[in-house]
Amino acid sequence: MKAKKITALALAVLMAGSVFAGCGSKTEPGTESGAASGKTASTGKVYYLNFKPEQAEQWVELAKTYTDETGVQVDVQTAASGTYESTLKSEMAKDEAPTLFQVNGPVGLASWKDYCYDLSDSAVYKDIASDDYVLKEGDAVKGIAYVIETYGIIYNKALLNDYFALDDAVITSIDELNNFEALKDVAEDIQARKDELGVEGAFTSAGMDSSSDWRFKTHLANLPIYYEYLADGISSTDAIKGTYLDNYKAIWDLYINNATCEPSMLSSKTGEDAASEFALGEAVFYQNGTWAYNDIKDMEVADEDMGMLPIYIGGEDEENEGLCTGSENYWCVNSKASEEDIQATLDFLQWVVESDAGRDMLANEMGFVTPFTTFDEYLPSNPLVAANDEYTKAGKTAVSWNFTTMPSENWKNGVGSALLEYAQGTGDWDDVVTAFVDGWATEYQAANE
Amino acid sequence: MEKSIKKYFPIFVLPTMIAFTIGFIAPFILGIYLSFCKFTTVIDAKFVGLSNYVKAFQDPTFLHAAWYTAAFTVASVLLINVLAFVVAKLLTKGFAGTNIFRTVFFMPNLIGGLILGYIWQLLLNGVLAYFGKTLTYTSAYGFWGLIILMLWQQVGYMMIIYIAGIQNIPGDLVEAAAIDGASKWQVLRYITIPMIMPSITICTFLTLTNGFKLFDQNLALTNGAPSKMSEMLALNIYYTFYGRTGYEGVGQAKAVIFFILVAIIAMVQNRLTRSKEVQQ
Amino acid sequence: MEKKKTKHGPLLTVIFTLISLAYVYPIVLVVINSFKKKQYISKYPFKLPSEKMFVGLENYVRGIQQTNLIQAFGVSLFITVFSVLAMILCCSMCAWYICRVKTKVTSLIYTLCLFAMVVPFQMEMYTLSKIANMLHLGNPVGIVIIYLGFGAGLSVFMFTGFMKSIPLEIEEAAMIDGCTPLQTFFQIVLPICKPTCVTVAILQAMWVWNDYLLPSLVLDARRWKTVPMAVQYLKGGYGSVDMGAMMGTLVLSIVPIIIFYLACQKYIIEGVVAGAVKG
Repeated sequence: MKAKKITALALAVLMAGSVFAGCGSKTEPGTESGAASGKTASTGKVYYLNFKPEQAEQWVELAKTYTDETGVQVDVQTAASGTYESTLKSEMAKDEAPTLFQVNGPVGLASWKDYCYDLSDSAVYKDIASDDYVLKEGDAVKGIAYVIETYGIIYNKALLNDYFALDDAVITSIDELNNFEALKDVAEDIQARKDELGVEGAFTSAGMDSSSDWRFKTHLANLPIYYEYLADGISSTDAIKGTYLDNYKAIWDLYINNATCEPSMLSSKTGEDAASEFALGEAVFYQNGTWAYNDIKDMEVADEDMGMLPIYIGGEDEENEGLCTGSENYWCVNSKASEEDIQATLDFLQWVVESDAGRDMLANEMGFVTPFTTFDEYLPSNPLVAANDEYTKAGKTAVSWNFTTMPSENWKNGVGSALLEYAQGTGDWDDVVTAFVDGWATEYQAANE
Repeated sequence: MEKSIKKYFPIFVLPTMIAFTIGFIAPFILGIYLSFCKFTTVIDAKFVGLSNYVKAFQDPTFLHAAWYTAAFTVASVLLINVLAFVVAKLLTKGFAGTNIFRTVFFMPNLIGGLILGYIWQLLLNGVLAYFGKTLTYTSAYGFWGLIILMLWQQVGYMMIIYIAGIQNIPGDLVEAAAIDGASKWQVLRYITIPMIMPSITICTFLTLTNGFKLFDQNLALTNGAPSKMSEMLALNIYYTFYGRTGYEGVGQAKAVIFFILVAIIAMVQNRLTRSKEVQQ
Repeated sequence: MEKKKTKHGPLLTVIFTLISLAYVYPIVLVVINSFKKKQYISKYPFKLPSEKMFVGLENYVRGIQQTNLIQAFGVSLFITVFSVLAMILCCSMCAWYICRVKTKVTSLIYTLCLFAMVVPFQMEMYTLSKIANMLHLGNPVGIVIIYLGFGAGLSVFMFTGFMKSIPLEIEEAAMIDGCTPLQTFFQIVLPICKPTCVTVAILQAMWVWNDYLLPSLVLDARRWKTVPMAVQYLKGGYGSVDMGAMMGTLVLSIVPIIIFYLACQKYIIEGVVAGAVKG
């Protein structure tokens, strides 16, 4: 009996002890991470908050390669589509903040410039082909673009040639497809004769799920803004006039009424849906950019059948319009990080743009066209990139990326909701105009208070 | 005895209290305080009085979410409890396979709300596609989609509780009533329902709070689309905090309002049904 | 009663069999779709995979790779097991103290626990995630403390509810025999409380295992993800939703739970009933 009691007592003490051990461990992680940062202080570490979800996996892989080679810890986190700004904000508030982050252009830089380390002495800056690809504040280099992208209307050459071969096709060659009227006639004719062509629609579904709505509320909306800026001779504004919104409506109508699905289905259609429709040869046209190649390759559309058209909305002189080319991905190094971490980050970036492993990953796996001089032998085998080269060679004027001047994420969301409601028939086009014009003024004010 | 135990406060109570302070008390008090502040990180909080509350009540999406949540809660409480009770009544009749059926109906409870949401999104969008619609076409589709999902998940849970309640009714009570010539309806009305009042109390309480605080299923099934019209309160608060920078204070104010609503509902409901319970 | 059984029995069995089949159909649907090529899933959800659509286990492999699901299972299991153990041990001790020592402090603690059960998580989420970050609790060990704290309300409430019914005489006798309070608690009280321990364990485990919001705000997602976080990451973490990987991940996250449920359903259902009666 006594022995039993003693055992029980011992057990009880042990358990009570473990309770305290459990509670004691509350402080343990703190000291542990303190020790860890102390240990690696000499080398520093890298934390990259990545903007591009399409390449999330490849970045993790690349980071691992770097860590295996050098022993330097590199963490990569990717923010979910549409949440980069808020993720960045909450991560920056943590004590292990990102050392490497991204801004989307001048508007993004304005809110983060205090956190941007001057990169003018860095190796990455020395590798950049031209100052067109950096964000500057005075002489300080605050952001460096690492990818140049192009978007337009991706089309299936084989299907389009099938159409051209039909009797009384409205046009018979791709060369004639160089303005909005032609695009409209062809798309509507394809839609009318879709069974004859064996497709489900002229355009892929204009999905308004968050994985796809940016194609319209941001990228397509760039065109009316581009033409307005062009006409007014400006490069940004605090109040958009909406001069070209009728053209925006015309192209949106074309997309939603000549597609693989009813407009009432758009709210749930995802980016993946549209990519599948194009990749399975069910639609001829698909508005997206060079980055979409990874989603549509190796399916039923051969690489040589992929082409890209400019997005014609009926602007002035649009026969000479090229594809939309630019960057909304600028690397910035967190100036508030420790010196070791900044150095580690700069070393990592240099490795990414100069080493074989880094260049191979960026060009061949991620499919990036970069603005770096080190990439001459690393050009992606992306047919959509090749399409852009053809337009550039033909002397067409590339459409610049003015959506980097859009006042806020909230503005884009407002336009997106209104576009969807209009498409479904549950709202009017006037709501789109209101969200576009009035929304711009209010959001610009709110952002610049 | 009390005295000898008293000295053991650090061993018995302190571990729980430390965790309770970190996990509950401190965030709660800080939350109340911050609802009166403008802040982006906790350190830079500036006192702004009631302006966050004013902004919260001026936000049409928040008011819409409140009505949407209330309507959803009422519909789900009624449907879940009625169905659960009917199923429980049938399953206590003692026919072949009742145990298997009970097992099947309870199963969805163990699957997380997020996963349930994605399962039903596939199924419901697949069905709606035949009619050229989707779950996010208007908020009504999302509403009934969410109701179907919640029925599927919770009927089994409430059924288990009702079964336990029904099995506790003494058999001779029902028999005596039958001998006295009571109809089936009368037995249900005057014996079964009063006798299972504790089960009804707990089931209403659970479905009420589950409906009101619903988050995961809402996030996965429609994520508030279209245009935040199928957004419930919990999700609305979440997006005020994390969807938009500069609105953290408003989010916290909304959270306080939400807490007060939940507390009032819980108290009122508890009073109402407890008073109807039979003393056993 | 006996007569009814023979009268309607077979009919009810048939009806309920049909309902049960409909009940498991959503899960079966996901399993079927998990074998289809991703491009076909949202387009033809109800078709059985034809030869053209069939991809074997590819979706599962991709799901595991993209979400790091194996690790997520480990993290979820670790957090659930240790949170539940901590809640049972710490909260039962706390509850016993509250029951046996009547002071202003203990009655305040009890009131706070009741209060905590009503407060929705949204009220706490922002400040809790900030506090957790400041105290470096954003790891699987730290989050156990948060779960203990946030789950303490219900656990303490359920333990006190049961302990009130334990006759004092047993404990008094043990103390007179020379047992210290710790001995009394672990030798006498805790064994009597076993059914409540099971109930608390089941209710809290169901909550912790399936919880998405708390870990997603508190845990350092670069290093640790729980299973629900992994599923959600698939939805938002990539530009387009890979439906194939999604289906694979959904199936993989459901299967272990269903197996566990079928193995322990007796305890789970009893636990739920006991929890409801006391709550």
